[in-house]
Amino acid sequence: MRVLYRFAKKERLRFVSHLDLQRFMQRALNRTGLKIAYSNGFNPHPILSFASALAIGWTSEYELFDVKLAEPIDRDTALAEMRQALPPDLPILDARLVDDRHPALMGRLVMADYDLGLADGVKALHEAADAYWAQETVLAMRKTKSGEKQTNIRPMSIFLEKKPSGFYARLMLTEQETLKPDLLLRTLAEIAGIELPPVRIHRLLLLGQDARGTAKPLLDL
Amino acid sequence: MGLSEKIDALLSQVEKPVRYMGGEYGSVMKDLRGVDVRYAFLFPDVYEVGMSHLGMKILYHAINRMDGAWCERVFSPWVDMDAKMREAGVPLFSLESRTPVREFDLLGITLQYEMSYTNILSALDLAGIELLARNRKSGPFVICGGPCACNPEPLAPFVDAFAMGDGEELTLKTIEVYRQWRDAGLPRGAYLEMLAQLDGMYVPSLYEVSYQGDGTIEKIQPRSVAKMPVMKALVNDLSAAEYPDALVVPYGEVVHNRIMLEIFRGCTRGCRFCQAGMIYRPVRERSMGRLLELAEKLVRATGYDEISLMSLSSGDYSCLPDLAREMVKRYQEKRVKISLPSLRIDSYLTDTLKETQKVRKTALTLAPEAGSQRLRDVINKGVTEEDLMRSVKEAFENGWSAVKLYFMIGLPTETDEDVMGIADLAQKVRQCYFAVPKGQRAPGLRITVSASVFVPKPHTPFEWAAQLDAATIRHRQQMLRQALAGMKGVDFKYHEMDVSFVEAVFARGDRRTGEALLRAWELGCRFDGWSEYFRMDLWMRAFQEVGLDPAFYANRERAETEIFPWEHIDAGVTKEFLLREWHKALRAETTQDCRKGCVNCGIRRYKGACV
Repeated sequence: MRVLYRFAKKERLRFVSHLDLQRFMQRALNRTGLKIAYSNGFNPHPILSFASALAIGWTSEYELFDVKLAEPIDRDTALAEMRQALPPDLPILDARLVDDRHPALMGRLVMADYDLGLADGVKALHEAADAYWAQETVLAMRKTKSGEKQTNIRPMSIFLEKKPSGFYARLMLTEQETLKPDLLLRTLAEIAGIELPPVRIHRLLLLGQDARGTAKPLLDL
Repeated sequence: MGLSEKIDALLSQVEKPVRYMGGEYGSVMKDLRGVDVRYAFLFPDVYEVGMSHLGMKILYHAINRMDGAWCERVFSPWVDMDAKMREAGVPLFSLESRTPVREFDLLGITLQYEMSYTNILSALDLAGIELLARNRKSGPFVICGGPCACNPEPLAPFVDAFAMGDGEELTLKTIEVYRQWRDAGLPRGAYLEMLAQLDGMYVPSLYEVSYQGDGTIEKIQPRSVAKMPVMKALVNDLSAAEYPDALVVPYGEVVHNRIMLEIFRGCTRGCRFCQAGMIYRPVRERSMGRLLELAEKLVRATGYDEISLMSLSSGDYSCLPDLAREMVKRYQEKRVKISLPSLRIDSYLTDTLKETQKVRKTALTLAPEAGSQRLRDVINKGVTEEDLMRSVKEAFENGWSAVKLYFMIGLPTETDEDVMGIADLAQKVRQCYFAVPKGQRAPGLRITVSASVFVPKPHTPFEWAAQLDAATIRHRQQMLRQALAGMKGVDFKYHEMDVSFVEAVFARGDRRTGEALLRAWELGCRFDGWSEYFRMDLWMRAFQEVGLDPAFYANRERAETEIFPWEHIDAGVTKEFLLREWHKALRAETTQDCRKGCVNCGIRRYKGACV
């Protein structure tokens, strides 16, 4: 049996790196009474994976990790055990029990929703967003595993809604095609011809697609 | 913008923002409505170093168990954050609630190392607390403890009170007395006089120090209620003493990220250079039952997968094999590693560990401290070359291939020959390795020879000794470097002379050295223990400007009749014992491990000690 946990990473912990968070979750699992399944091998470690790494400095209310259990339990126990092992700034928001054949979260991830908060420059960036949206091709330097690459980022933006505080955005998040919200904002600032003001990036949702191609929250797939 | 928002704004501009973040699992938050004493505990170095310190964990836990008292952690901001905070007008703050340190009732500071003293001044200044104790009219009382407090004098101008000895009970008493003082509505000075009544508390402003023409001390005169001498605080029963059953678990990596179990305090070996071995007497063991109970709670509360058994000389714990075996048995299934002191390779123990868990073959660490038997007798390091060779041989036969050897250069009576003895030892260790058949030994021999510079410390038999002059130290370092350069598989590391020199000044400094400390800090000295920030030129300028000769403190052998700056502090052993040991050292005579028979060190003068 596996448990898929949804948790939030709050403001105070936004500088905790993904690597540190992984180590932290391993220790947190040790603090629970859950019987965790360990990998075989010289250095056994819990079978634990995250749907997606959250960049340093961002917050989120929809982070997912997946842990394999050695013994089945019920959902309430899974929730209660994990909650007592985490600090208030990493609250567990949901859990789902799935069987071992359930596909890996990371493989089904397609896009993510973000709340983008701007300290100022909202008006200029909103105007830039109109210009951005009107084009079919917007080139930007995207960092990939093989280095920096000029990429058309426009098709990777699913939607970009204006909000008084900034934007509500849905952006692609797959292994091949990922548009990071900070790159989108830098591009908008460039179009507007302004310095990018301080921004707060908050992840709202991770999504996959069902058999008909409809976007659905990853935990519900 | 509130303080918390201001701090947040700085965090994205500095390296390692997790240092200033707080919010760790296990950090203690309290409702202020139920809190009447707020205690800030400062470790005057960065987070990763401070969070590895056991003493802070013990006191954090002990204070927070008190009703109405809340202890929060404070660390020295690294230079980048320090600069940003000053620029943005952000004062030194606590990690838990981000409260300015200035608003706390008590500020406890631990003194682990003389070279952290400038960081204390930086911290007080950044907190907006008056540096000089005599000018302090408000804000928290500044109380220092820890091993360096046994010569408190260099910090006397800046500190309201010092806590000597074991902190578990004494720290709580300072809080209780604080409540009594506040409830009585007495003036600020009255709290210090009340503290001075407690065993282990030293209030420097209650003592007058006068000097003779040659710069040595003429007299230390206590005023009114002050005790003479101040006896250290002693916790006799460690099994009953406070010990954390939960810990703050950091997010990032810190120096020691594991459960630390102090199995005993004190040491019976009587190495003459070792301050800890003198001031933490007598040996007090924590019972095996208590240790197992603590281990159980800590594993559950932290999720750590490693327990380290700590003490000054863990091989001396009376039931170490039993304890280690029992722990290994209990935690095998939970995949919790037990890290044992590597100083003793007990073959039976090694076999047990091999069966049950993958013993990490980290380097075997040995500390012969001196290169010749004569010099090892001078310092009363009770190991012989045969002991060393036996340990090394067993280690090589059991699959170790890395050995670290620790030495000191500049020990009293040391000659060039003694130092060359270090190279001989390294050579013999190599031969030991090659004597093990090729198929049987692990490949890749690595011998690391580390040589620090000897710093004579107060409350040790070498408190009379001169630190060897810099030129001779450097000559011997280079001589040894050349001797080791030709040996394959041997690395040589040695300490910078200059840092050890300044350390020697403050280890045995008097009140006047406080002025040099203040001047050095004003000139820009801080993080002196970090080689990239140590500025010898600024230190020398500071000594010159306040008219002090640092060699007077570091390089002068003291007369037996001299009154020391710490003469009024009783750290457990008597001056008569230390003098006897100094004389024996000069004759290269050893003193037995006091488990084999009392050596009359004086600790029995303390009630309940060593019975």
